[in-house]
Amino acid sequence: MAGKSYCISFQNIQAALSTVRPFIHRTPVMTCSHLNQLSNRNLYFKCENLQKTGSFKFRGACNAVSKVIASNQNSTDKELSVVTHSSGNHAQAVSLAAQLQGVTAHIVMPSNSPAVKKEAVRSYGGQIVECEPTEQSRVDTADQVAERTGATMVHPNQSPDVMAGQGTMVFEILEQVERVDAIVVPVGGGGMLSGVAVAAKELCPHAKIYAAEPKNADDCAVSMLRGELTPLPAPPVTVCDALKTSIGPHTWPIIRDHVDDVITVTEEEVKAAMRLVWERMKLVIEPSSAVGVAAVMTDRFRSLPADEHQNVVVILCGGNVDLEHLPWM
Amino acid sequence: MEAERVTVPDVETAAGRLEGHARETPVLTCGTLDDLAGKRLYFKCENLQKSGSFKFRGAYNAISRLVSSTNQNPPPVVTHSSGNHACALALAAHQLDVTAHVVMPRTAPQCKKETVRGYGGKVIECTPTEQARVETMERISAQEGAVYISSSQHPDVIAGQGTMGLELLRQVPDLDAVITPVGGGGMLAGVSLVMKSLNPHVRVYGAEPELANDAATSLAQGERCPLSYYPETIADGLRINMGPVAWPYIRDNVDDIICVTEEEIKNAMTLIWQRMKLVVEPSGVVGVAAALSDSFKAREEAAKNVAVILSGGNLDLLKLPDLLSMSEHV
Repeated sequence: MAGKSYCISFQNIQAALSTVRPFIHRTPVMTCSHLNQLSNRNLYFKCENLQKTGSFKFRGACNAVSKVIASNQNSTDKELSVVTHSSGNHAQAVSLAAQLQGVTAHIVMPSNSPAVKKEAVRSYGGQIVECEPTEQSRVDTADQVAERTGATMVHPNQSPDVMAGQGTMVFEILEQVERVDAIVVPVGGGGMLSGVAVAAKELCPHAKIYAAEPKNADDCAVSMLRGELTPLPAPPVTVCDALKTSIGPHTWPIIRDHVDDVITVTEEEVKAAMRLVWERMKLVIEPSSAVGVAAVMTDRFRSLPADEHQNVVVILCGGNVDLEHLPWM
Repeated sequence: MEAERVTVPDVETAAGRLEGHARETPVLTCGTLDDLAGKRLYFKCENLQKSGSFKFRGAYNAISRLVSSTNQNPPPVVTHSSGNHACALALAAHQLDVTAHVVMPRTAPQCKKETVRGYGGKVIECTPTEQARVETMERISAQEGAVYISSSQHPDVIAGQGTMGLELLRQVPDLDAVITPVGGGGMLAGVSLVMKSLNPHVRVYGAEPELANDAATSLAQGERCPLSYYPETIADGLRINMGPVAWPYIRDNVDDIICVTEEEIKNAMTLIWQRMKLVVEPSGVVGVAAALSDSFKAREEAAKNVAVILSGGNLDLLKLPDLLSMSEHV
């Protein structure tokens, strides 16, 4: 794809690595004999559930906040702030990233967000601005806050700085896993998938990149099939609450050009994979995180040539789950 | 009468046997828990160990030694255990090509019984009293010619558990103190003997449910004081009394034993699951509860780096709501 330009480059991701390194955990990669037996592969799980704030989103958030500071270096009299609309992992990530760098974080959240999510955002220093539980209200309220405070918007998955931040995990993976044949990445908005794809194409170009997606929110799979960006027509119903957003105009071109395939999984497959990881790996992962695990257990993945798919990295993207409302109870 | 003492060379030999078979488990940290404890806590993640608990170390070392000391076909092994040692022994035996007979209380978590069978172990159920466990085990041992591998009182098991102490000394810089849960005392015995032999300034603490506080009482009295009943506590792996073989090591090497309430255990569960994203069973977080307790904070005000062993993660996930506190007590 010579001459193609995307909204992020490998250099952006490389720069993001130095930027975020002082703040993030270099999360471990773990293995599990039982899951290797079940999948007939060597699986390497990148444990972003163990990342600060409980998900990989912290990487992108740190990079984005740092960039806001860097681009406002001349206006020292201004109190810097960022704004985003998210009730989940991105909200927590931005809150802590901002707190650590002395920036105010305005988090626009639907009024009916679970109390535990609001508490988590507050505990990381985020300032909550409530909105109606509609997409329009989220966007409008965020715009109003930006206008009122001068805050910079940090989009959860279409912001180039966020996408570049997510890609930093590939550097670590290649230090931690000797040989990588494939990387399996859950996809919602595509921020992680696109960041990982750009980094991987430079650092391990032979490695195949697979997206893993809930069947009930399969906009990425449909887009790949149709060859054009096809967002979900309506809010999806899925236990994977972190993967409900559709891929967007910034992430789509990278996904289109660099992702080898999208593997979709059913709700039951996700729940079973989640329980498997909790029980056998003793790791708390949220349903969205189990999508990658479910993907490698599908017939579709198993049918991929063994010699080209022996060593498979699976991203466990987060572990923020409401312990009082588990999917198998 | 004391059995021949386990020494650091025995633990180092055990480490050699375990290499390539047991995991050198990671040590993880958590900013939130550091803030709550007022110190840097280093969590040794034995929930990530083979078979889901530290018990694999002792079981593997003991069977491995048995196999290499037998000329022809090694005998089967037998034990009685509420769960983790059962799973560990079954897996270790399977890996070493030895038959394992496991006596388990009827009330042991279903997932633990299934895991033992999954590893090729033969499960024999008994009534949930210490006496029934021992009697059933002795009967099976005589019947099958099986060698008894105690969950905590066998010297090779104590040596195996001691390998965690060696790893902690490598993994944690400037260690001030170590906290381990105590049930039968195998882990506390092994880890404390390593610390006091190699790095005597490191303080070693046991952590115990108040409802099963025989080890604490024993340490205070200077003699072993087992409970005459089988105590109720959500920390089901720690109901057993501290045993006679582990006792002298604990008496001689442990600085104190901290008792925690059921509520403190549940609070620690919520913190570990929610903040650290780790599946740890109630027995496994007793050390965390101890680290956060007023008595530990008062005693170790100046300590900076404290290692806490998260001993295991085998539990019935369907029971989870009963094991957490409804809201975090920060």
